[in-house]
Amino acid sequence: MGERKVIKTTCKSCHGGCGVLATVEDGKIIHIEGNPEAPTLGTMCSKGLSSIQHVNHPDRLLYPLKRTGEKGEGKWKRISWDEALDTIEQKMKESIAKHGPSSIAVSQGTGRGYNEYTHRFARSIGTANIITPGYICHSPRLGLYGLVTGYGRLYCDYHGWGGEFPKTQISWAKQLEISSADGEMAVWFLNSLKHVKNLIVVDPRETALSSRATLWLQIRPGTDAALALAMINVIINDGLIDKEFVEKWTYGFDKLAERVKEYTPERAAKITWLKAEDIVKAARMFAIDTPGCIQIGSSLERQANCGQTIRSIICLLGVTGNIERPGSMISWVPPDTGQREDFFTEIPITDEMRRGIVGSEQYKMGAARTAHSDTVIKQLLNGNSVIKVWFSVGGQQILHLANTKEVMQALKNVEFLVHADQFMGPMAEIADIVLPAAHWLEIDDIFDMHPRFMIEAHNRVVDPPGEAWQDSKIFNEVGKRVAPEYWFENVEKMLDYQLKKGNMTWKDFSKKVVHARMGKDQIYYKYKTDYWRKGGGFPTPTGKMELYSTVLENLGYDPLPYFQEPGESPLSTPELAKEYPLVLTTGYRQPFYFLSQYRNIPWLRSFQKDPVMQIHPDTASEFGIEDGDWAWIESPRGKIKQKARLFPGILPGVVMATANCFYPESPGPLHGLLKSNPNVLTDNNHCDPMYGSPDLTALLCKVYKAEDEKEE
Amino acid sequence: MRWGMVVDLSKCVRCYACIAACRIEHFLPMGINWPRLVAMETGGDSPTVSTYSVRCNQCKDAPCVEVCPTGATTRREDGIVTVDQDKCVGCRYCIVACPYQNRTFLSKDKDQGFFPGRVVTDFEKAGKKLYKHQIGTTEKCNFCAERIDAGLAKGLKPGVDREATPACVNTCPARALTFGDLDDPDSEVSRLIREKKGFQLHPEYNTDPSVFFIDGKIGQSDEPKVDDKPEKEPEAIGVGE
Repeated sequence: MGERKVIKTTCKSCHGGCGVLATVEDGKIIHIEGNPEAPTLGTMCSKGLSSIQHVNHPDRLLYPLKRTGEKGEGKWKRISWDEALDTIEQKMKESIAKHGPSSIAVSQGTGRGYNEYTHRFARSIGTANIITPGYICHSPRLGLYGLVTGYGRLYCDYHGWGGEFPKTQISWAKQLEISSADGEMAVWFLNSLKHVKNLIVVDPRETALSSRATLWLQIRPGTDAALALAMINVIINDGLIDKEFVEKWTYGFDKLAERVKEYTPERAAKITWLKAEDIVKAARMFAIDTPGCIQIGSSLERQANCGQTIRSIICLLGVTGNIERPGSMISWVPPDTGQREDFFTEIPITDEMRRGIVGSEQYKMGAARTAHSDTVIKQLLNGNSVIKVWFSVGGQQILHLANTKEVMQALKNVEFLVHADQFMGPMAEIADIVLPAAHWLEIDDIFDMHPRFMIEAHNRVVDPPGEAWQDSKIFNEVGKRVAPEYWFENVEKMLDYQLKKGNMTWKDFSKKVVHARMGKDQIYYKYKTDYWRKGGGFPTPTGKMELYSTVLENLGYDPLPYFQEPGESPLSTPELAKEYPLVLTTGYRQPFYFLSQYRNIPWLRSFQKDPVMQIHPDTASEFGIEDGDWAWIESPRGKIKQKARLFPGILPGVVMATANCFYPESPGPLHGLLKSNPNVLTDNNHCDPMYGSPDLTALLCKVYKAEDEKEE
Repeated sequence: MRWGMVVDLSKCVRCYACIAACRIEHFLPMGINWPRLVAMETGGDSPTVSTYSVRCNQCKDAPCVEVCPTGATTRREDGIVTVDQDKCVGCRYCIVACPYQNRTFLSKDKDQGFFPGRVVTDFEKAGKKLYKHQIGTTEKCNFCAERIDAGLAKGLKPGVDREATPACVNTCPARALTFGDLDDPDSEVSRLIREKKGFQLHPEYNTDPSVFFIDGKIGQSDEPKVDDKPEKEPEAIGVGE
């Protein structure tokens, strides 16, 4: 028996944050489980645990590769890191000299602790054209919460550190219980349910939680703003507002009250397909049994009315005083190491960079610090692309952006595209240079919990395979070549730099693993103190929580929230609905996959081989589909097939498709990209005015049996 | 003493963590699962989505013990039904006899490795050394008897102390699984069964399972519940002003 040791680290198989104990013998990993001393109490899910199959996976990328054939032809040659970095440096410098720094785009997948590097890298070389999935996941919440808290973060207080837990909770278009999304961990949420009096679930389909909730609102996808505004209507009419908070700490209540008059429960019931009495019930519960919190899912941000939907919900929190009160929505104070964002905000976006942001003229909230992805795609198709060089780390833009066929074509028009990844997926296949990246079990890095009250350490458990590098090293090495004044001698020095405010070095933090401001060290009711503003108040132009947003008004947006039908719906496009009679939503997630990841991990794939769409038995029988059939789902943009699951818990007339799916085992360059991915069906022309988010989770479709594939 | 488990249907969110933890704990061959998740989705006016996290029930009157011709399957004094892989001849009578279908025959095709014909991972190599699986024998959940035995030897309490508790119970993010001594009226499992009307699956089989299920609503009740004490999160970890 060799030397055995247990290494404490942090999982980021999803947004991450679970404490991990990994046992290593002679440098080989032999066991992994949750760390009971971590704030996640020793729990881990199937994704994190199955990381064991990620290490040593035979398909891992081991060396930098250079394209030798046509783009997307799948012909590659191994090259050295030096050659890869030399080429990237040269292409970037050429592009900067010829077209200016904004011609370089930096893209990433979902925010998992490398945001700091993508943003710092982009800013250091003088571009703010950062392409992220943020505008369809979390950025609208951050930006619009930012109009309340200044720095854009409000999270549910599941912890009771202020002496109270939420009495009424709304789980709105979210399954935190299986996703731990945005770093709000399932274990905290589920623990807090032991205290809840009312649990309200807003979801077009039944879940384990909604089965046992106090109230389940089975809503028509894309109509959530109407529900929120009607709830405000009821709360005001019933005299249930938090009078003290509204009078003293909010701005524009009367105007909001005027606006919501048109959203009676009866009218909202017609829009949302809910019962008016259930809307009234939900409103009363939320207003009477306080404190309360609302957990918002990214499905609401994958809709072209996302800005105003989130604003509606924020106003609902405002009129009920559920801000900064223990058991409500809090903006957590970070530990003494500061905001992780400081690592990139210390390089400000200059006016020149701002002018160079693609889409910034149109999408003033979304494209203020990052580019608008769909405009980038359109420009690439139209031959007027600002973007010439695309540096992509993680993420599969090719998969998650609307209208996959257009995106594929557009990406071929990028002059030079680099992609760093662990596997050769559809995004890597279309690149000019592919860089091998490391898994979280193979890196030393700082993990930032989205709620920002703690940072955690990723400690290297095993070495990366071949010549794979961790993302931070890739950025540091490219950064040193293109903008050396902003980058570091090595990764450890870079980590030390990020921890310096907390008077720690990486070595100290690595041993500590968790650095958190929890319990009594948190500050509630910040608006009653000097925290945001001397003498109290919110960090807004009026010093109040703005129900009527002066910031949005100045940007030319409606300062008050409103409801708008999705671009395609039975109501907004009745003619189209004759051919495509069903509402398609694409919010289906499985707990064992994370977005486009893990369909190549055998343990996880064993849980569900093929992408599944849920359909009500009555609807299925109307369209000749039986349980287990492969079914075509078709929209005006194209068709895909998924396996039908007849599910009585979904609204008749609504189809719920699995998102972000491709088939890693299928041959490249597509890897089954067009077979089942719902973004083949989605449209990128109708976008949210503030954020540019397209209707990914609310559109129209028809379904029919795919005769050519039988149940395997 | 009789070890037992309670599965709370109102908490299980079908995340599959229990299966993953078991695979790691026992280095399970690719084709084998000791626990399974059985999905239930009912329609009607009040549709319900439930997930039954099932595993060997460690029955008090276990048909598998009765039919085993070699004495490989036995019931220990603490109620755990075990299989001695060295005595099992692979006759599979027990698989037929188990009314819950919680036993699996480990055939060669179920042990092809994570990446057949491509690579044997370090984890699999370690597994061959640390946890023997015998092709041609029958397998099932053993309530992590190894953890229980080692934990008890150290004076730990299964169901309370993590080191002595089954891996699936430890990892469950929903805290839907509870483990303990069914013979101890003060144990958490006994209290949950008593106060939340715990039930066994298919009592008509008359095997007296040691795995119980409970269900219930979330919220609404103002009455204190037995599991009303939330777990205490760690206090500030070294940051303060």
